[in-house]
Amino acid sequence: MSENLKSLVDHAVDMGKKKADAIIARGVASSDSQVRFSESRIDIAKKWESQNLEIFIVVDGAKTGATVRPASTKKDVEKAVNDVVSFSRTLPDSMFYAGIEEEAKRYHEAPGNYDTKIDQFTEGSTEVVNSIIAAALDEGAKRVAGSIMVTKTETFFRSSLGPEGSSKSTGFELNVRALQDELDYSGQGLRSGTIPSAEKDEMIKAGAKAGRLAKEAVGAVQGEPGVYDLVLTPTVAASVIGDVPTRANPFVAMIGLSPLQDKMGEQIAPDMITVHDDSLLTGGMGTTSFDWEGTPGKKTTIIERGVLKSFLHNTSTARMFETETTGSSRLASVGMGARLLLPGASNIVFENGTTKVDDLLDVDRPTIHVTCNWYSRFQNAQTGDFSTIPRDAMFLHQKGEKKPIKNMRISDNTMRMLANIDALGNDRTQVYWWEVRTPTLIPSMRIRDCRMTAATQ
Amino acid sequence: MKNGKDLAEYSIKYAMDQNCDFAEARYVEDLARGLAYRNGQPVSGGMTPTSGIGVRVLVEGCMGFAAFDRLETELAKRTISTAIKMAKNSRRKEPIDLGEPVTNKAKWKTEAKRPLQDVSIDEMMEAADELNKRMEGLSSYILTLNPRVQSKYYITSEGAKIEGEHSYLLMSAILTATSTRGSEQRYLDMTLAGGWERIDESNLYDMLSDEVDRLKQAAERAVAVKELMDQPIDMVVGQEVAGIIAHENVGHPSEGDRIMGREGAQAGESFWRDLKMGESRVGSEAVNVSEDPTVPKTSGFYGYDDEGVKARKRELIKEGIINEPLLNREFGTKFGRGSNAAARASGYNREPIIRMANTYFEPGDYSFEELVEGVKLGVFMRSFKEWNIDDRRFQSKYTGSEAYLIKNGEVTDTMVKRPIMETTSVGLLTAVDAVSRNHTFEFPGTCGKSDPMQGVPVYAGGGEIRFRSIRLGGVG
Repeated sequence: MSENLKSLVDHAVDMGKKKADAIIARGVASSDSQVRFSESRIDIAKKWESQNLEIFIVVDGAKTGATVRPASTKKDVEKAVNDVVSFSRTLPDSMFYAGIEEEAKRYHEAPGNYDTKIDQFTEGSTEVVNSIIAAALDEGAKRVAGSIMVTKTETFFRSSLGPEGSSKSTGFELNVRALQDELDYSGQGLRSGTIPSAEKDEMIKAGAKAGRLAKEAVGAVQGEPGVYDLVLTPTVAASVIGDVPTRANPFVAMIGLSPLQDKMGEQIAPDMITVHDDSLLTGGMGTTSFDWEGTPGKKTTIIERGVLKSFLHNTSTARMFETETTGSSRLASVGMGARLLLPGASNIVFENGTTKVDDLLDVDRPTIHVTCNWYSRFQNAQTGDFSTIPRDAMFLHQKGEKKPIKNMRISDNTMRMLANIDALGNDRTQVYWWEVRTPTLIPSMRIRDCRMTAATQ
Repeated sequence: MKNGKDLAEYSIKYAMDQNCDFAEARYVEDLARGLAYRNGQPVSGGMTPTSGIGVRVLVEGCMGFAAFDRLETELAKRTISTAIKMAKNSRRKEPIDLGEPVTNKAKWKTEAKRPLQDVSIDEMMEAADELNKRMEGLSSYILTLNPRVQSKYYITSEGAKIEGEHSYLLMSAILTATSTRGSEQRYLDMTLAGGWERIDESNLYDMLSDEVDRLKQAAERAVAVKELMDQPIDMVVGQEVAGIIAHENVGHPSEGDRIMGREGAQAGESFWRDLKMGESRVGSEAVNVSEDPTVPKTSGFYGYDDEGVKARKRELIKEGIINEPLLNREFGTKFGRGSNAAARASGYNREPIIRMANTYFEPGDYSFEELVEGVKLGVFMRSFKEWNIDDRRFQSKYTGSEAYLIKNGEVTDTMVKRPIMETTSVGLLTAVDAVSRNHTFEFPGTCGKSDPMQGVPVYAGGGEIRFRSIRLGGVG
């Protein structure tokens, strides 16, 4: 751990505890890079260096405030602490504060979270990208676009109430889209993880997969609106079905944006569905040994055999709801500028299924295989009424034939779709990309009777 | 190094000493303060000062970008060097060309009679209290209030030097109204551009009261009118819906980087790719859509874009024919037209890319009453809720939030529950037969694009629009 990071955090806490009832300070040093490409060429290579000091304080009982800002000197720290203390004193009591972690704890190691060859990988990432492009072209794409983001983060935190900890992590996020000359025919490949230097082959395979799907999509015809069974790839399942457990969150429920409000203990999915939030998952993009206030990370079962078992909590919401914290505290943004400690998911983990994907698609009812989606929007987040747009390759399986189709929209309800899952694939994969910002491990799944719509003119 | 401006200038010199062909540096200071409330009770407050330098370089025909937040010379050198090395390794066969040099020197800022930096937290809380009062009676309401000022210092190796300042009063509410018929939700963006005086100028509090009342009415009264599904009908949409259509169905597909594939894996491409500027028809003759960053008191206002090019109005569609794409320097060169000042970067740590500013249907000659007079059976969709559009910007869906049945030339008291316009862009725009003269920017929003995501404040609007013979995608 960087001594500079630790000394800045220590200085913030030592100074802040004299002025506030409690202070948590977290130093986060990041060194990230990205290569973006399109039309089978690299467009831009980017490099970011940042070091932020994040502070949460409690003053005068239940007034809370937070700030996040760049810091590299003790003078920066002093200004940050003084600013946030004086600002927070002017605020009314927060209705969402009922305490923070008060004990120093021991933290479990989060193994497999740091790539010691990260810097070499970053310097050579343009070559990896060129190999990914080549793989997609070899499989039949005419054009290839995408990006690879590589991150390296070092964190040290300390709370005036005792907890402190440090961590180092790395990660990568690859999105490849292979296209034909026509706009209508395309395919996607994704890969994310924590050890990029060990995953070059998997990245190239993602490129090849995108190219293969783009070729299979050639000749796609307009789909017919109607009710179909859907087979969702992990990418789509993470976006549509994975959204439900991320809303097992008391704050989200209290602001009217969760369909899980008042559903505790109810059967909301078939027996085959069990979902956890796992902060300690090896290779998880959201893995952390401790939450923002210093409670150890752990595995929490949200849905067990289809029954809603638990929401995610931090210390405050746990006290408000008379339960235990799940170690899920995050410094969350509400609007721009305002922040507060709220529960949040780390890695959403669905238990894997046992059915081969080919068997999911061995069907006797018209079934649409959706490989990618984007732009999900709710009519009503409380009920789960929503729509989302399949993009890239999509296939209708009917009467033993597979036919590429295009231009359709899933217009349904997330809770109803969750309840209508009838088979789980054995291909569980981590999904983390533009459209899915909570890392989600999830298999393919088949869902009965989903409503597909299309443009009327 | 004394300050960010000095380090920005040093960064240019350092990059050019490393044999770059072009270098630009943007030093940005950004201060956002925020208050958040749930059902009138305070949830959180905070302040987020951000600052840093973003450096973009062109070397051996390849583009590199470096961003750093601490104003340290060695950090600047290290980050820029890595970006240059990575860019060189790109080995791009077709070199990037930014076209003619841009050497503008200018200063601009959003007009603010009462600068947001001078507004006390007490005054912010008073405003929030008043806003919260106006939402009482809803089953749930969330309010965020975030004054934000962003100043930029931009210089290039070509000699451009631009100083600019944005001032936004970002405000939004998530409203839930519940009745025995169920609940209706609406996300309401109330963002104003300028100083604190904009609250009074815009009649903000009464506007919010009105919107709350309308949502309650929709929850209590809206019904599925099945006859609307039996046949094609006429639709009249309000300025907010006109705004989202201008933004999604016209503004996005007009972006030059999408047209040429650069957003292929993220925000997508564009159905304009296969069309010809000045020739291809995508709408009726009544459709004129423009883009204008020079409109004062809008979120999309700027004097010069983030490549130092002077802002000007762009006419995207003229009389139904695509006329002009949005362009930055790179794509202005590729299109052979030059930049039309559409480059925006959301912060110091983002590259400037092609973005919208204020997008709108040009006003027509009709009054609202005249639009409605000609409708035998139809819907007036005043506002929308759920919407989406595919990544070529060709198939869109807009679900009505507040909508009324139109019968025999009159807007009736019957509220229509969630009418859905699910069409292609061309199907939608060719159905336009009239636009009202009542132009307003009713749709402030934050437009998302790129990877990493860049959210930039925009406005959109127009007059009310009449669409003929639309087959609804659903109702109720």
